[in-house]
Amino acid sequence: MKRTDKIFLYMGLIAIAVSMLIPFLWMLSTSLMDELEVYQFPPKFIPSVCKWNNFAEAMTLQPFGRFFLNSMIVAAASVIGQITFCSMAAYAFARLRFHGRERIFALYLGTMMIPAIVTVIPAFLIITTFGWMNTYWALFTPTMSSVWGIFLLRQFFLTIPKELEDAARVDGASDWTIFIKVILPLSKPALATLTIFAFMGSWKDFLWPLIVTNRVDMRTVEVGIASFSNLYTTDWPHQMAAAVVVMLPIIIVFMFAQKYFVKGITMTGIKG
Amino acid sequence: MSHFLTSQLAVRNSLFWVLLLFLSPFVPANAQRVITLRLTDWADIDEMPLDRKVISEFHARYPNIEILYEPNPGVQYEEKILTALAANEPPDVFLLDSKLIPTFTNKKVLLDLSAFVQELRVDTTQWFSNVTNIARKGSALYAFPKGFTPLMMYYNKRLFREAGLPFPSDAWTWDDYRSIAMKLTQDTNGDGSIDQYGTAFTNYFYFWIVWVWSSGGDVIDPTGSRATGYLNSQATEASLQFLIDLQRTYKVAPSTGSWVQSEKTGSTSQLFANGKIAMMIDGHWRLPRLLRQVEQGGLEIGVAPIPRSAGGAKVNVMYESGWCVPVSSRHPKEAALLASFMAGQEANRIRATRHLEIPSSRLVANEMVVEDTHDVERAFIAEVPSCRQPWGSVVERFSEVEWTLQDAVDEVLVNGQPMHATMTRYATKIDHQLQNTRLSQTSEFKPIREHSEILGFLITVVCIVASASALLYYRARGKSRRATGAALGFLAPSLLHLTVFVLTPIVFAGYLSVHRWDVVVSDKPFVGLDNFRELFSDESFLNALKNTLLYTLNVPVSMVLALTVALMMNRRVKGIALLRALYFLPSVTSFVAIALVWMWIYHPTFGVANFLLHLVGLAPSAWLNSTNTAMISVVIFSIWLGLGYQMIIFLAGLQGIPEELHDAARIDGSGSWNRFWHITLPLLKPTTFFILITSLISSFQVFTSIYVMTAGGPVGSTDVIVYHIYQSAWEQLRMGYASAMSWVLFVIIVIATWIQFRLLGNQIDYG
Repeated sequence: MKRTDKIFLYMGLIAIAVSMLIPFLWMLSTSLMDELEVYQFPPKFIPSVCKWNNFAEAMTLQPFGRFFLNSMIVAAASVIGQITFCSMAAYAFARLRFHGRERIFALYLGTMMIPAIVTVIPAFLIITTFGWMNTYWALFTPTMSSVWGIFLLRQFFLTIPKELEDAARVDGASDWTIFIKVILPLSKPALATLTIFAFMGSWKDFLWPLIVTNRVDMRTVEVGIASFSNLYTTDWPHQMAAAVVVMLPIIIVFMFAQKYFVKGITMTGIKG
Repeated sequence: MSHFLTSQLAVRNSLFWVLLLFLSPFVPANAQRVITLRLTDWADIDEMPLDRKVISEFHARYPNIEILYEPNPGVQYEEKILTALAANEPPDVFLLDSKLIPTFTNKKVLLDLSAFVQELRVDTTQWFSNVTNIARKGSALYAFPKGFTPLMMYYNKRLFREAGLPFPSDAWTWDDYRSIAMKLTQDTNGDGSIDQYGTAFTNYFYFWIVWVWSSGGDVIDPTGSRATGYLNSQATEASLQFLIDLQRTYKVAPSTGSWVQSEKTGSTSQLFANGKIAMMIDGHWRLPRLLRQVEQGGLEIGVAPIPRSAGGAKVNVMYESGWCVPVSSRHPKEAALLASFMAGQEANRIRATRHLEIPSSRLVANEMVVEDTHDVERAFIAEVPSCRQPWGSVVERFSEVEWTLQDAVDEVLVNGQPMHATMTRYATKIDHQLQNTRLSQTSEFKPIREHSEILGFLITVVCIVASASALLYYRARGKSRRATGAALGFLAPSLLHLTVFVLTPIVFAGYLSVHRWDVVVSDKPFVGLDNFRELFSDESFLNALKNTLLYTLNVPVSMVLALTVALMMNRRVKGIALLRALYFLPSVTSFVAIALVWMWIYHPTFGVANFLLHLVGLAPSAWLNSTNTAMISVVIFSIWLGLGYQMIIFLAGLQGIPEELHDAARIDGSGSWNRFWHITLPLLKPTTFFILITSLISSFQVFTSIYVMTAGGPVGSTDVIVYHIYQSAWEQLRMGYASAMSWVLFVIIVIATWIQFRLLGNQIDYG
């Protein structure tokens, strides 16, 4: 690639990055505005006076502390569950040669292909059968494993050279040891990716927590945010203030996880 | 602070109950038992405290009735109520939008409250009679009214004064309205393009039906059974032509896109508040915010009735909500008492402080007029006698007809089709829809606990999966058996999870696809392959199928883009973490904020995209507001939105490629393009394959972008399968039909995925 091409490419990259910043900037500035200032068209990006109080109000008008606690519990359970269960399943699909592997994997993948909109009601009926309405169980158990995560990890496990595994096997290592000692340590970027998406998935989920909880003290942050609007109008400044605070944990998780994307793995014993 | 106090109170409350529990054996037997009722509504943050106050008043008066207040956000409130009904666990009292009344009363979900009117001494004359009547079917009364609004014409007084125009009179006509709108449409800064419009018009059925009624026309016949002869009558067509001409011929209304773009994001009211639109139609709900703006200065508003057609009657529409009680409530009498209290004078008075709607109580409404310092409420109340109930509160599943009517208007408004032919065609379509609805009105409410049924499914599926696994193990021989055993061990947790939370619901959906199920009743008559037969003769489904396939074409484009970005981000450059985070930002940002900003970018009249086109000398595009460009606009938006997601996964994949390989190749003197082609791409294959498959699946299932940006319009040009499924399932309550569609979609995705696996999947080498 020529140097000038590269410069153009980077300029394009930065231009797209800026476009991605715009909705966020609007969110940030709206969170500091007076309610009436929001109603500008085209939208305003700089508030005339910064109302920092919006944040305090947004967090206290509803029990947001409790919402955060709930979301944290759900997201943590979801991440731990997915990292554990998805990687175990992915290991089986990627590294073990067993009877019916392809068929079972096809069954797993197939479940991704029915839109969730029609399975929400039966899933909810199951939860009520268990008597889990208004409980953490109802909130996090359905998110503790995902075919998406299994598929993601399977694809990464496939790229790990077989020689590493064979060497361990010669030393008499069991499947479990290989999984824990060889495969997982080499899959940090993939596990980091899954952490981000599992965390985000349960953190940003709206419909499911809404359906399986009635009591305000069991609600999650995303449901709390939605309560700033009614059928016709929205209290934008407070809603955006809450949304800004709510997205912080995801950003933090992202910043921690993305570190694993720069530690290029040095592998040994690879065919040149 | 306040929430600390409430939790303190909660502790004290629970202590009280614990005490009571211990003392209960000693309480005299004739003491009244305390019962608990659940109450649900769509109160937002401002309304919640008011409702809490009403509830505590109620509790003070009836101390033996405890209330669990369970407010829900307005977004997806219907889904919340419907699922609660499906599980037979509805709240004892809930707020009902009038559009659900026909469905809920036909299916006998609601308790007839008239039985309690005498016993509880509810004064039904306290309410505006036509508001109460919306929930009346024959002698039965299914809800006590909470509040309502007619539609009004809001106007900007300053713009009228500047143009030297008198304010609209109560008896103004369509001609008056149009000539005023023409005078108010101006190029105020003299740059050659209009920047102030007289009025606004969208395809929004809720807003235009009043004009049709005013001209003596209607969209369906009085019994609600056919549209032919009504939708394509002279009066109806003339009134629609009048409205459409405001935008197409006279250009006194900006091209604002469909109501999804203009009302959902409130951009019409924003344009109105900023003096860019002089007159707009809206309900009472808009008033509080506009009045705050008036109080802060800079805006002066007036409210007039919607103009009458020459010689036409004075007519308006009434959108209301009311408190109802489901038949399954265990304490019907107490629930009815609570519902009547929620709709009573005290409650109305407490809620009236927020001015969101007109109180159902005549007395309180009149108090509001007296106390009104802005002189707007009087005009609203004056409309009440001429208010008709909306079709949605009369005809079951009318939302389906509404969408079709909006398409019909768009055919003329956006596509410029001839009026009469279009309306005739759409009238036939609506006749068909109404007939289908009538045919399905045979279900009866059978209050059976749903649990046993789903439990049966759950047990069956778990048994099948367990025995299949066992079979797999015992059929394997020797070394393979050991591996199979190990694999089943590794798979066990995820398999159990999958079986319970995914597989069972899917099997249940399969069962539903050959049944009819209205969600709110437990009766599920077997219909054989009727759902599938209907599907393949349903033009709009086939259209959605075509659009979905078109939409998936975005996958290769977005993947190339994402890979490019990922390659450039895969470096140790200072600040790269920040740049990565920027690309990830849309995945984290509040989705409503994103939608709002993109609506503004795509706005046909005031948008940024057209401004940019103008800068480089290109003609403006209608973007989301044209059948030709709507899909591509949604695709551009989706690519932008999904770029970060794909980039992250590509980045993670790139980490798996050992740097030694690149170093070796570099020493060999191969160029960067060469290295990409021969090293990076082949080794990235599992990642690429993953992104391809998952992106394809999620493209086939695209929903949110469509739901937020276009609602499938204009004229179905962005209607996709899952949006179609959503509408059937949640708006029309046809869960069986929706499940059938899901299975068709499933088969399509399976085929597409199978092809991908065949082409790419088997070539993974293990390094």
